[in-house]
Amino acid sequence: MPYLDISHLEKSFGTNRVVKDFSLPIEKGEFVSLLGPSGCGKTTVLRMVAGFETPSAGAIRIEGKDVVPLRPNQRNIGMVFQAYALFPNLTVAQNVGFGLKIAGVAAAESRARVQEMLELIGLPEMGGRYPFQLSGGQQQRVALARALAPRPRVLLLDEPLSALDAKVRVRLRGEIREIQRRLGITTIFVTHDQEEALSISDRVVVMNAGIADQVGTPFEIYNHPASPFVASFVGTLTPFEATVVDPAAGTVMSGGLTMNLGRALAAQAGASLPIALRPEAVHLGRASGREIVLPATAREVEFLGSVIRIRAEAGGQAFLLDTFNRHDAPPPQPGEPVEISFSGRDVVVIGGR
Amino acid sequence: MTSSRIWSWVAFGLGVAYFLLPLVGMFEFSLRARRGEYSFDAYASVLGDPQFRTTFAYSVTMALVTILLGVLIVLPTAFWVRLRMPRLRPLVEFITLLPLVIPVVVIAFGYIRLYNTSSILPLTGSVMGTNVLLALGYASLSLPYMYRAIDTGLRTIDVPTLTEAAQSLGAGWATILGRVILPNVLGAVLSGAFLTFAIVLGEYVFAALLNRPAFGPYMVWISGNRAYEPAALAVIAFAITWACMGLISLVSRTQKHTRARS
Ligand SMILES: Nc1ncnc2c1ncn2[C@@H]1O[C@H](COP(=O)(O)OP(=O)(O)O)[C@@H](O)[C@H]1O
Ligand SMILES: [Mg+2]
Repeated sequence: MPYLDISHLEKSFGTNRVVKDFSLPIEKGEFVSLLGPSGCGKTTVLRMVAGFETPSAGAIRIEGKDVVPLRPNQRNIGMVFQAYALFPNLTVAQNVGFGLKIAGVAAAESRARVQEMLELIGLPEMGGRYPFQLSGGQQQRVALARALAPRPRVLLLDEPLSALDAKVRVRLRGEIREIQRRLGITTIFVTHDQEEALSISDRVVVMNAGIADQVGTPFEIYNHPASPFVASFVGTLTPFEATVVDPAAGTVMSGGLTMNLGRALAAQAGASLPIALRPEAVHLGRASGREIVLPATAREVEFLGSVIRIRAEAGGQAFLLDTFNRHDAPPPQPGEPVEISFSGRDVVVIGGR
Repeated sequence: MTSSRIWSWVAFGLGVAYFLLPLVGMFEFSLRARRGEYSFDAYASVLGDPQFRTTFAYSVTMALVTILLGVLIVLPTAFWVRLRMPRLRPLVEFITLLPLVIPVVVIAFGYIRLYNTSSILPLTGSVMGTNVLLALGYASLSLPYMYRAIDTGLRTIDVPTLTEAAQSLGAGWATILGRVILPNVLGAVLSGAFLTFAIVLGEYVFAALLNRPAFGPYMVWISGNRAYEPAALAVIAFAITWACMGLISLVSRTQKHTRARS
């Protein structure tokens, strides 16, 4: 039995169906991300789990017990908001101790717990400060400590890093994951940033217009996108339309090019098949094991630091490709003829394997 | 100094004179109770008057009751409107303005008709009942100031998110209002409270029509019967008002967490 079980959840605001038949079983200690574009219903799912919205249908069970009839303050679920939402009139220590005070924890025990939490978030000396005296990243750490102090059953985070700048965002997401692992707390993390979701989650739920399009590990989501939406939203890729030639042998044809995908396909011969290539699967120049070689023209060259992303054109089809930066091999200039190569086995079949 | 600066100083001086000269004149007059020399005789006579003390004490008590009543009515209302019914805010604001639009005499007569001794709820039949009625009347008079002050205070914090944060930590409504919302709008609540205090202290019509021994009617009575004491009383009332103003700014300045905001 899953620890937190969301089943067939629905939510409508008036005639607007915002969450549709959303089911998600979560194991104890798991870190699950809800990933999707703005307005796809991530926050609404989270708020239903927290108790701030009432589902139109469906159930939310924790350890087998339906929590839908419980009010938010009876659920013992910790929440971290994008806007930090620290109480401005309370010090850091008082903020972290707020939930303990309400739970009636004795003063000495509460003080010890607050200190433990402050050490956990790496701000042991900041207990006496007020929120306005902290940076955004520090405030969000305090908000995390405040949510964790009363030992909630589930931790919910709604885009907790969106208000922070890039460096802090990357560091703090690692810290959040580290703390989550150490405490073993069951966590749902909402984000619209695919890199964030892929980098820290046990499992990712890709949401599109209120529907969970795909649920899987970051590896599965990235390498085997179940729908064109997932494929386009997670990572970058070059989509193609292909026609199946021999499903048993795995041969397809696209734009006069015959490719062998190296696996059997669950499609009829002659059926059209959406396929795609990730930029890292395409190689600049020839390489062993990449049997398909195309003459192409470099169109755009984007220097990203350790990686150089090139948009090349071959036979009227654009290809994105990533190549590692090497100080002794300058990238091609736009307009320069290049050779690109890839393997049929690296082709992503959208909605299948 | 450029000529425009000179003119602005002149305008400023005229403004100061406009407000200060009557005060200075009144203060000077209040000191002339003893023939031929300045003295505080008028003040001594006012402060020594047992009527002054009882009416003043009565009005201060009424003011405190009114403030308590006002905060208890307005804080949850303004909070709830901001949290759940933001679209109704203009309507609620309009309703709180009504006491400014309807003359107090009308309200007072309405009260007396509604709650007289032959009505279902004969509040005017007893002294305590009349006091309750008066406090309710004062509370309605203070509504425009209280609501505005508290609503402005609520605007400076993120009410919905703070409320949800507190809820997720296990807080119920009373805790949220008392420990999260109120402390964060304390300055606003106090400025509403001091305005209410000043209004109740000087209020005449309600108290006179309900025949309660309040400070307002006493001031009117004394100005019809004495020469120097009314001036002394006016100076005292003025001092109290200014003390209130001073307390407002003092309180809003001593709140630690708001120091960085201004
Ligand atoms: N209280 C509400 N009333 C009406 N519509 C709402 C409400 N909350 C959210 N919505 C709508 O539900 C949809 C999903 O919102 P939300 O869950 O916040 O998306 P996300 O968090 O993925 O950006 C949006 O179209 C939004 O306008
Ligand atoms: Mg959202």
